[in-house]
Amino acid sequence: MPSTTDLEQFLVTGLSLGGVYALSGVGMVVLYRATGVLYLAFGAVGAMGALIAWQLSHQDGWNIWLSFAVAILFGGVITLVYGIIFGPALAGRDPLVKATATLGLLLILLGVMDLLWPSSGGASRSLTMPTDNNTFQVGQISVTYTNVIALALGLVITVVTAAFLRFTKLGTAMRAMANDREITAALGVPVRRVEAAAWFGCGVLSGVAGVLLADLVALDSTSLTFLVISTLAATLVGRLRSIVVTFVAALVIGLITAELTPVSSLSNYRDMTPFVVAAIALLVLNRRRVIMVGRQGV
Amino acid sequence: MISVSDLTVRFGGVTPLDRMTVNFERGTCGLIGPNGAGKTTFFNVLSGFVRPVEGTVHAFDEDLLKMTHYRRARWGVRRTFQTEQAIEELSVYDNVAMIHEHSKMTGGSRREDVLGAIEFVKLDIDPYAKVGSLGAAQRRLVEVARAVVGKPRLVLLDEPAAGLPDEETALLGDVIRAIPEHMGALVILVDHDMSLVSHCCEVTAVLDFGKLLASGPTEEVLRDERVIRAYLGTEEIAA
Amino acid sequence: MKTEASAPAAETAATSQGSALAAARAGRRLEPRSMVRPAVIAALLACVLLFVPSIFSLYYVDAWTQVAIYSIVTLGLGLLVGRVGMVSLGQGAVLAMGAWVSARLLFATGLPFPLVLLAGGLITMVLGTLVGLPALRMSGLYLALITLMLAGAITVVLQNINFPNGGHGFTGYNASTVHIPPIRRPAIAASDPAFFRYSVVVAILMFLLVLVHLRGRPGRAWAAIRQSEAASLAGGINTTLFKLWAFALASFITGIAGGLVAGSFRYLNSLTFSTADSITLLAVVLMGGAYSMTGAIVAAFLLKFLQALLNDWGVSPDWLTILFGIGVLQVLTTAPRGIVEQMPKDLARLGRLIRGLLGRPTTTRESAE
Repeated sequence: MPSTTDLEQFLVTGLSLGGVYALSGVGMVVLYRATGVLYLAFGAVGAMGALIAWQLSHQDGWNIWLSFAVAILFGGVITLVYGIIFGPALAGRDPLVKATATLGLLLILLGVMDLLWPSSGGASRSLTMPTDNNTFQVGQISVTYTNVIALALGLVITVVTAAFLRFTKLGTAMRAMANDREITAALGVPVRRVEAAAWFGCGVLSGVAGVLLADLVALDSTSLTFLVISTLAATLVGRLRSIVVTFVAALVIGLITAELTPVSSLSNYRDMTPFVVAAIALLVLNRRRVIMVGRQGV
Repeated sequence: MISVSDLTVRFGGVTPLDRMTVNFERGTCGLIGPNGAGKTTFFNVLSGFVRPVEGTVHAFDEDLLKMTHYRRARWGVRRTFQTEQAIEELSVYDNVAMIHEHSKMTGGSRREDVLGAIEFVKLDIDPYAKVGSLGAAQRRLVEVARAVVGKPRLVLLDEPAAGLPDEETALLGDVIRAIPEHMGALVILVDHDMSLVSHCCEVTAVLDFGKLLASGPTEEVLRDERVIRAYLGTEEIAA
Repeated sequence: MKTEASAPAAETAATSQGSALAAARAGRRLEPRSMVRPAVIAALLACVLLFVPSIFSLYYVDAWTQVAIYSIVTLGLGLLVGRVGMVSLGQGAVLAMGAWVSARLLFATGLPFPLVLLAGGLITMVLGTLVGLPALRMSGLYLALITLMLAGAITVVLQNINFPNGGHGFTGYNASTVHIPPIRRPAIAASDPAFFRYSVVVAILMFLLVLVHLRGRPGRAWAAIRQSEAASLAGGINTTLFKLWAFALASFITGIAGGLVAGSFRYLNSLTFSTADSITLLAVVLMGGAYSMTGAIVAAFLLKFLQALLNDWGVSPDWLTILFGIGVLQVLTTAPRGIVEQMPKDLARLGRLIRGLLGRPTTTRESAE
């Protein structure tokens, strides 16, 4: 049985991870509601952003915060470009097709990352934020400013996005588009511009998430790419609709994954957490079976 | 006879069927109503895709709702859909034979039954042609052939003439009229084309907002004031 | 009262084509099934079996072996995606399971290799179907997602129990083993060229198994399900049963492929299979053409032979990953049935173009495209 100190320390990790999953989840849900695209390449984009930030700051001597800004901007731009090119091309298709297409982007990015930053057997790269060094104590646990930023950002972005969707014109337009794109367009809403905003916003969040996860977890293209699964699990619990539920689910997933680390019997299996949570969410989501009229598959 | 009693469907704050009560006695019966009246939902209940919260459907004294959806075909329910669903990569023969096969009819008479159904709908083409190579009107006929093969008891036709030109619609009307006598089935026809409905159906029921508005001999129903009012604003009543 | 349907259009059509219906009644098919295509394929396969090991170096013989093995996997995924319309992102995990089971049996028992393959296939089929059962109630995106999740969970499990290395106990893994014994091969196919032939024969058998399914009742039911699940149910088809059957068949053959992987690589570890594998599998299946059986071979070629080729030339395999990503995007935006389906159309168009240039008239069938 792990000690209370251990459990408490991993609470901090869990909340930080949860915070990042939350802000990622919010990005993915908003994009899905506005465009019908489940952005499976979210993690890959963030991963590449993080590697770019590492390259600039650790290799080329740029200022670290500037490097992060570039990483975040990269996320936004790449996602926007993808959305502009492939959004219209796949507009009328089933969400399955749209999501599968993002897997294409995922593969491209994975290949590019491994080409530009090959995993050389020996030294592994790491991305550290300056805020890692600022720590404070809460009882027996040490908390870094990075931890605080991760959780705070998760919270802030959730609240701000929820308010944005509710109270602003752009946000209302996004909600309307989730229901019916054609009618929204017919009402004079600049659909293309709203979509572009959604793509860019989601991309920016992927850049933020990438940098934070690179710091909290590891700077490794494959791991970072597939951390999207944890985010995905949270969005599925939120039924790809509710931002608040996604936030809570993200925190829970982060917490469980982290808290299992000191539990020696289960520790090795902690990476199953998002898979198990997502599977359960999917099964519950689909309790009432929907019978499809029309062509299946891609 | 199909007797529907207090059939109610409710989901997501909408009530597509609201205590619908009607009897379909025999022959070819029409079912009309404005868009959103609940006609397709009614068919979906009969097919078993939608579960009603209340009400019963008795088809020839058997409780239809107690059967699992895919078993109803075995029992004798056949259906066409608003968008044609004939399988493109299979031949006409295979499309029709599949219904025969899955309704557990004996293989011995299969060939005769399938070719007979294709002939019945006046589809004079090579039955081994792939459906994907056929035109829209012919595909609709394949659908109807699938709906009449192998001793059906209840044939549900959901806008079978949609998109067809007048000439083909008239031909289809003749085929539909002949189903009860030649195939021994009860036919319920949903369509917006009133001339088709008048042509085929001796009796017609009218749905509006999920409720039965009127039912009786087709001519009378089409002249009924309430029915005309329900359709007011649409051009579908072209006498 | 008899109705007489006689419109001019129907009559003229009847005179030329009514005979088709009459011919069908008499039992005559208008176009008899040609024997040319199967004969050509058989001849090609015979050449492959006989000559490939002598033409290519051992390195490439192994590459062709991988193509043969993975064509079984792409066949399974192609069946699910192309024929039934179920996108599964978990076939990589099924392959890994098959390899694990076969390796375990090969170490623990003295059963002959073919029996191990069969047993491995059956066990993987049961496991794959059990794990896939919850997926069957879903369609489209959710089906794809749950297969991804289940595959991920399996991958974590495999990473922890490791692949058998001759140890004892249920998992057959001994962490402290220094000299890991290689997984044994069939007695008649110990050498690489022989194992190549063995794999090709097994692949042919798997293809035949799938072909039998496609030509029969399940194949027609799957076509119906892909077209419209609602219409299938209304037609009396037990869609859940047939989807289960497709899943089981795909798991079975992929399990057998896993056994071949075990025999081919001889040393397995969790790096042999990765999460990205399931995604690249889907990518090549889409590129090769999920619908046709030839597409499965093209997909396996893309996945495994190009890799060997690039490796030989000193080019990073990451270029392939990028290619596959581009391929997915291209296929989904332009050719929804994959490039192999597109190829006959393109070739036909090319043929017409050439004929036109040569001044020969084109036949009505081609121009009716």
